Amino acid sequence: MNHKTAIMKTVRSLLVTLLWMVCTTAMAQRVITGKVINKETGEPMQGVSVLADKAKSGVSTGADGRYSISVQKGASTLVFSFVGYGAQSVLIEDKAAIDVAMVQVAEENAEVVVVGYGTQKRSSVTGAVSKYRNERMDETPVARLDQALQGRIAGVYVQNISSEAGAAPKIQVRGISSINAGASPLIVVDGQPVPDGMSFVNMADVESVEVLKDAASAAIYGSRGASGVILITTKQGKADKPKYNFKFSRGAKTDYKRYDIMTTSEYTEMLFAEAALKAQDPSITPPTGTAIATNAERAAYIIEQTLMGGKSTDWQSESLRPGAFQNIQLSASGGKRDMKYFVSGGYQSDEGMMFKSMFERFNLRTKLDIDLGSKVKLGLNLNPSYTKRQSPSENFTNFYRYPSFLPVYHNDSTAAKVNTLAQWASIRPGAYAQPRHFSSIYYSGTMPDGSLWVPTGTSDPFSSAQNTPKSSVLNQDIDAREYRLQTGVDLTIKILPGLEFKTLASAYMNYTNQLNWANRNATADGVVSRGVYIDNTYIDLLSENTFNYNKTFGDHTIGALAGFTYQRTDISREQTTGLDYPSDDIRTLNNATSIDKAGTFGTKNQIGLLSYLGRVNYAFRNKYLLTVNFRADGSSYFAPGNKWGYFPSVSGGWMVTEEGFMQNVKWLNRLKLRASYGVSGNNRIQDWAFLDLLQSANYPLGSGTGNSNTGQGTIPSIGGNPGVTWESTFQTNLGMDASFLKNRLSVSVDVYSSKTDELLLQQSAMAFTGVPQYWNNIGSLRNKGLEVEVSSTNILNKNFKWTTSANFSVVRNEIIELGNEAYLLNQGERTEVYQNKVGDPLIQFLGYKTDGVWLSQADIDAARAKGLTSSLSNVFIPGGLKLVDVNGDNVLDTKDRTIIGNPYPDFTWGLTNNFTFKGFDFTFTLQGVQGGELINGDANYNESRRMMRVFTNNRWLSPMFPGNGKTPYSTAGFNWMLTDFVVESASYWALRDLNLGYTLPENWAKYVKMRSLRVYFAAQNLYYHMASNYRALNPEGRSTSGPYASALIDGYQRGSFPIPKTYVFGVDINF
Amino acid sequence: MLLLVVAGISSCTKEIDLYPQSNLSTATFYRNTGEMNIALSGCYNGLQRVMTEEWTLTELRSDNVVMGNAASTSTVNRDLSDLDMFFPNTAHAGLYTYWINSYYNIRNINILLNSLEVNYNASSGSISYDPLSIAVAEQDRKKIAAQACFLRAHHYFNLVRLYGGVFLVHEPLNPADAKAINRSTVEDIYRLIIADLQSAAANGANQKFASIPAADVGRVNSWSAKALLAKVYLTLNRKADAIPLLQDVITNSGYSLQASYANVFSITTEMNSEILFAVRYKAGGLGIGSPFGNLFAPLNSGSAVVNGDGSGYCYPAVELSNQYVTADLRKAVNIATYGSGSSARLYAKKHINTQTVVRDGETDWPLLRYSDVLLMLAEAQGNTGNSVTLINQVRTRAGLPNATITNDAQFEAALALERKLEFAFENQRWFDMLRFNTTLTTIKAEQTLKDHFAVMYPLHYTNYPSPKLTLAEMQAKVTPEKMLLPIPQREIDNNTQIVIPQNPGY
Repeated sequence: MNHKTAIMKTVRSLLVTLLWMVCTTAMAQRVITGKVINKETGEPMQGVSVLADKAKSGVSTGADGRYSISVQKGASTLVFSFVGYGAQSVLIEDKAAIDVAMVQVAEENAEVVVVGYGTQKRSSVTGAVSKYRNERMDETPVARLDQALQGRIAGVYVQNISSEAGAAPKIQVRGISSINAGASPLIVVDGQPVPDGMSFVNMADVESVEVLKDAASAAIYGSRGASGVILITTKQGKADKPKYNFKFSRGAKTDYKRYDIMTTSEYTEMLFAEAALKAQDPSITPPTGTAIATNAERAAYIIEQTLMGGKSTDWQSESLRPGAFQNIQLSASGGKRDMKYFVSGGYQSDEGMMFKSMFERFNLRTKLDIDLGSKVKLGLNLNPSYTKRQSPSENFTNFYRYPSFLPVYHNDSTAAKVNTLAQWASIRPGAYAQPRHFSSIYYSGTMPDGSLWVPTGTSDPFSSAQNTPKSSVLNQDIDAREYRLQTGVDLTIKILPGLEFKTLASAYMNYTNQLNWANRNATADGVVSRGVYIDNTYIDLLSENTFNYNKTFGDHTIGALAGFTYQRTDISREQTTGLDYPSDDIRTLNNATSIDKAGTFGTKNQIGLLSYLGRVNYAFRNKYLLTVNFRADGSSYFAPGNKWGYFPSVSGGWMVTEEGFMQNVKWLNRLKLRASYGVSGNNRIQDWAFLDLLQSANYPLGSGTGNSNTGQGTIPSIGGNPGVTWESTFQTNLGMDASFLKNRLSVSVDVYSSKTDELLLQQSAMAFTGVPQYWNNIGSLRNKGLEVEVSSTNILNKNFKWTTSANFSVVRNEIIELGNEAYLLNQGERTEVYQNKVGDPLIQFLGYKTDGVWLSQADIDAARAKGLTSSLSNVFIPGGLKLVDVNGDNVLDTKDRTIIGNPYPDFTWGLTNNFTFKGFDFTFTLQGVQGGELINGDANYNESRRMMRVFTNNRWLSPMFPGNGKTPYSTAGFNWMLTDFVVESASYWALRDLNLGYTLPENWAKYVKMRSLRVYFAAQNLYYHMASNYRALNPEGRSTSGPYASALIDGYQRGSFPIPKTYVFGVDINF
Repeated sequence: MLLLVVAGISSCTKEIDLYPQSNLSTATFYRNTGEMNIALSGCYNGLQRVMTEEWTLTELRSDNVVMGNAASTSTVNRDLSDLDMFFPNTAHAGLYTYWINSYYNIRNINILLNSLEVNYNASSGSISYDPLSIAVAEQDRKKIAAQACFLRAHHYFNLVRLYGGVFLVHEPLNPADAKAINRSTVEDIYRLIIADLQSAAANGANQKFASIPAADVGRVNSWSAKALLAKVYLTLNRKADAIPLLQDVITNSGYSLQASYANVFSITTEMNSEILFAVRYKAGGLGIGSPFGNLFAPLNSGSAVVNGDGSGYCYPAVELSNQYVTADLRKAVNIATYGSGSSARLYAKKHINTQTVVRDGETDWPLLRYSDVLLMLAEAQGNTGNSVTLINQVRTRAGLPNATITNDAQFEAALALERKLEFAFENQRWFDMLRFNTTLTTIKAEQTLKDHFAVMYPLHYTNYPSPKLTLAEMQAKVTPEKMLLPIPQREIDNNTQIVIPQNPGY
């Protein structure tokens, strides 16, 4: 908006100047010339308005910053003005040349922020709204906008829970305002709420991202505002001559860190070395024979040592590859006074680090702003995009847990060996090796201790019917194509001076076409080929109609907004599964031998949202500010009688520095105090939560093999509740914006407290009701938080500039009540327990505290002699975890479970430094999360426990060799997953982004007919610091499906995927 | 102006009165006979859900079967081993899955019966057909309700035998109210079971086997209700109540033994004269196929045994295999060997037939067979001439000579062994072992299991990775308390309002 105004002014003044010059050439006058530069950078400034006093018109500076103005005799001053810069008046006296250096004023005074259904001057904002402008954000080598926002905005928490290409991170505004899975912020793209807005908006098209954080700002979005609102505004054209921009970057992506895993040989050698140690311990019966290593383990050792010639398979490397990242952007913008345009096209490809992980996106955008006469304005926005995404069929966990003695492909020796079994006689070198090939074969050979192992029968080195993960990945293709169109037309009509009516019709459509293909025998022998054809359609239509009234009466400024909107969403999904194709090369449904009914279905849903909204802004001398918002939402999500929700809010501001008594306080340039209170809602629950739905449940009845009889049964996953209604969040926000030292340091601080009532919850039901969970509104939750944003200009001179911006957020949540419950306990996939207890943080890990391991049977006997007993399994085993009798009743049982961690960070922070030196610019962002724990699921898997050095180093072996006394033996004792042994710190900090650029001097660029040319190097995750007790690869990784889809269960990591380290080289050219 | 707009729009609130387009809901279904029958098919479908786990809680814990992959430490295999070796913890995943799947189907059945106004009166312990306002003819109502009552009794009968006094739910339950409900007594559960089965026996179809309409084949009828009721009485040691029911079935039902044991389970002779009731499966990509072919086929057998390889979860105990004498025709149907020499492995063959798609087999799982009726009558009557004749009927069909029975102990041993061999891998053995504790005098479940561990220890349990249990430690786990499974920990954790007692010993 500010740019637009500037251009408008410029164009207007140019025209007037021309006219004026024609008319007045004959009059008495003299000419003054000069150059206007930017004081900070020393660069010439174009478009600065130059006006002589008493004259009605002036001139503008050219591209070289020069101007020439004729002034009448008697004129005393020249006024230089430019949006965002302080106006300067210079006495003419008898000077013939006047040069001026313009100084940028604090953004605050000029900046316009986008708010719900409109814009506001930054200075009049009374809620908690953060603005992030796209300066070089689009150069960040990530595929998605939300990933680029990580660590940039106070109160906005972005977590990369998966490293797969194009995967959506988890994003939260001001913590968890809801305990329902849909507690992510509302994403609004150019006025239209779009759930997956972050995934398709081209970063290069983004002008700014605004975040409405407090309830007062978000209340205008009513039932969808409780988790915050993120407004994405795309660029638009300016009335100027055409400008072209071309950006290109390309780079690579590698894994930051891998697991330290033993090979089969190293592992077997360790077993024998351990056995040799144990043999020295007189207190135990030393292991012999298969107690040292089982026949399976010995056979595996022989395969690796002899058949594979000592070359083990590194399955992590078989999974990973260096990925490539590429981004090409082209845009043109410009226009005349009554028509402006912005047109862009982009292509991005993000090749994942895992085989068959790929994300590609094509974007086009056309934005037109047209004045249809003086009363009517038309806006058009057209944004088609196409996304192609390829996903690997196997998780990284399936790779790194795989034994190293199994080759990917048979070599001569392995093929010859398995050919001895009649079933595998036809296998040739080069064919995929599968674990079953090596079963039931006779193996014999030399063990690590030099002994000769001659078993009496055959061995099964690795029992699994599944194919190796590599052959499984290479034999399956999961390809999704998404076709999207976001488009809108708006018409603004000036009805009376100050009163406008705007109507917006917009549509968002997403059609996804996916084929999940598996070759014959892709996952196991005898598995028929399978094609799953998925078609998803999402059509969202929005009609938005608002009246806007703005008027100033003397000291009073009033703005009013009133409107209604209707949004209708149609969602359908169809899936067909075909089986048994004649060839893996023919993948269309007509070739399927049969259709799999279980994998064939369709769903169709409609969502309707009808809303009335209003807002009044009032300002007295721009000193006292007041805003009142109201929204009423009617939603199809709820049963008749519960459909309507009402969301009011009020906020006020006091511009302290506008007061007379503050005028002498020189060190303080600006101080604004803000306070707000409001209600926003959350309606993100499963469709039809108020109904008990039925689903297909057929059954064969009748003679012969029966006929499939149509059946219907209830949905087994969740039960309905006719009484479910809105969840409401009441939030109070106190804020302060201040700037000091000639606006070189500015600070914003917000503190807030919110309380969410009528929590929409997938409450655990007693299983004997027949459903594990049901929807309910119970209880309330409180969030309290503090957010600080600081930006400063540390050094500013002609050649060198250093600016810093930092943000810091703290949020604490607490359950105030849970209906009639004192607490809820929920189980994760490994039966680990998550507690939700009144008075405590929403989620805490409940489990057994441990105190190292039982060092010996004597240790156990001593404890038992003191009366310690237990009804739990495997509690008293030497080398197993030693549980702590927390309640001191001498019985180790479920009553001893206690809080062993929680998933919430103590605080999160981001720090960006920006340096410019002549043509060079350098920016880096540090980002961190301090505190919070996770449960490391690796510890559940025997493969990990045995093969990962983090679980074997210093482990207990025998009473004489107890290791560090803290690491249990892999197979001994109590279930690790239920104890604090697997609770690890999730703290980290990272050098998240780095950008180093060089801009060619202007005259050089001109020489090659360019307006500017910049080359840059950008990188992500060059350094990543993890907590010392963290045993896996990515402290941000989390499981979010299955039981973890519930917002009451969080903090579990079932093996993690490496963090990508990405770097690109790019060029940015303007014509 | 705004008011005008608001007035104009508020008439459109129908735009937010939307209902699902792709799912029916309980609020609007169950309106007529057709819909009731569709809901009933859904209740039959619920049986399949339960069966997937049922063998792990019954057959696997009995002396018939061992968990095949002793060396494996994968979670699935470890969970199965825990059941096999008698130390399931209270949070064991399989225990919970079986529990919730049983109650899932009980919920479906309760909604259906409630819609038909067929209600259980807990104080009188009887089923009443209350006035019904919707248009369902009385004979249709009886036909549907009889089947639903049987299915509910079937679930509770298994639950009470596995977990003891479970939660008695006999009508649709609002989840919010459920936390006030505690466990019922074993007696209360059996009252419901008996009421349901008496109602099913009285109201169910009672055509003779040969006259059952083709479309009704596979449905519960009066005969299957009587046979199951007899088993309930037998379990409660009410032998005198069981005898007339069993005699009625033998005399009047038209069901009979098949000439060949193999035919009983053949997919070409499904629902033959010996099958009073079975959980039915159908192959062909319909989503209702049997998973057991792949679950039970030996591990790493590729497609040699069944298409799509086996998981090897259910290996016959060697002792069972040895108990079949050479002449016994049943052995070849129940047990086969994969591989040869030292890698030869036994596997349970009964549920394996050819199939195209993984976990999409055709084979039905019989729950009540005519030979069961014969042997139950023998068990109820005790050592009588007629009882010996009944046992010999079954032996003859198996190609065996008559049993030599001179005293009660021999009778009991012969009866117990005959049931074990006849119903191997049909989820009967575990319940038989428990029932013999009361119906027979000489066969004790604990001793049977201890003997089983003794036989299988050197052959099988010694292969577990160390530190493994000694035989004495394994046998020590077999206690009277462990004959019941624990109530799933989740159920106890989840109720913070009342204390739900756990079964003793857990």
